[in-house]
Amino acid sequence: MELKSRKHPNLTVLALSGRFDSSESARMNAWFEEQTTANVVINLADVNFVDSSALAVMVKAMKRCRGQKGELLLCNLQQTVRVIFELTRLDKAISIYDTEAEAIKAIG
Amino acid sequence: MMTNLRNRVRLEIPAEHSHLGMLADCIRAMLERVPDIPDLDTTIYNIQLAAHECCANMVDHAYSGHNGLIVATLALEDRPRQFVVELQDSGSTFNLADSVEPNLEVPQIHGYGLFLMRELMDEVSYTPMPGNNRWRLVKRLD
Repeated sequence: MELKSRKHPNLTVLALSGRFDSSESARMNAWFEEQTTANVVINLADVNFVDSSALAVMVKAMKRCRGQKGELLLCNLQQTVRVIFELTRLDKAISIYDTEAEAIKAIG
Repeated sequence: MMTNLRNRVRLEIPAEHSHLGMLADCIRAMLERVPDIPDLDTTIYNIQLAAHECCANMVDHAYSGHNGLIVATLALEDRPRQFVVELQDSGSTFNLADSVEPNLEVPQIHGYGLFLMRELMDEVSYTPMPGNNRWRLVKRLD
């Protein structure tokens, strides 16, 4: 999986591509631990596979962001990936936007 | 139940997270040869994810990080038309009774793996045997 991050004044956008699965969870948890911004937008446009380990990474990241008075937002989910968030009802806990621009705007 | 030998593939995969994508590739390659599967991409993804969750469970629990092999048998069957994933490990036996359904009202760190397997497949069964634990996952294709 490829990671590309971009800093904005009050948030970081993380664009991922490839498989976000159990082989990546340690690297992703470490990436979030290093973040200094409380708000993070994950762009999943090019992520074609998400497993339960990836869900766990994102739940931990959400708690970390909220612990710092920030928020974790997701955007551009492929339909097959979105269904997994719906099945686990994580779409109720983590805000999901259709586009990166909408997610950034929501943080304000 | 009938299985043409040309519709059966057997893989031996190192029990490591970094190798599990190979199984997903094989599942896709087999299903893309089947005509007229409704919502093909979703069906492929769901089977890939259920199989992956099962294998990840083997890596983390059956083998607990030790070296091991996962033996995967993938089969396209007729009458009924279905895709069957059989996964075997020779590690520790998993006690299905110990698994707890996740509370979907509260975001969880653990517990979604088996839940997803059951949600995404039509049948999920487990036969524990010392040295040869077997999972069988079935997805109807019509």
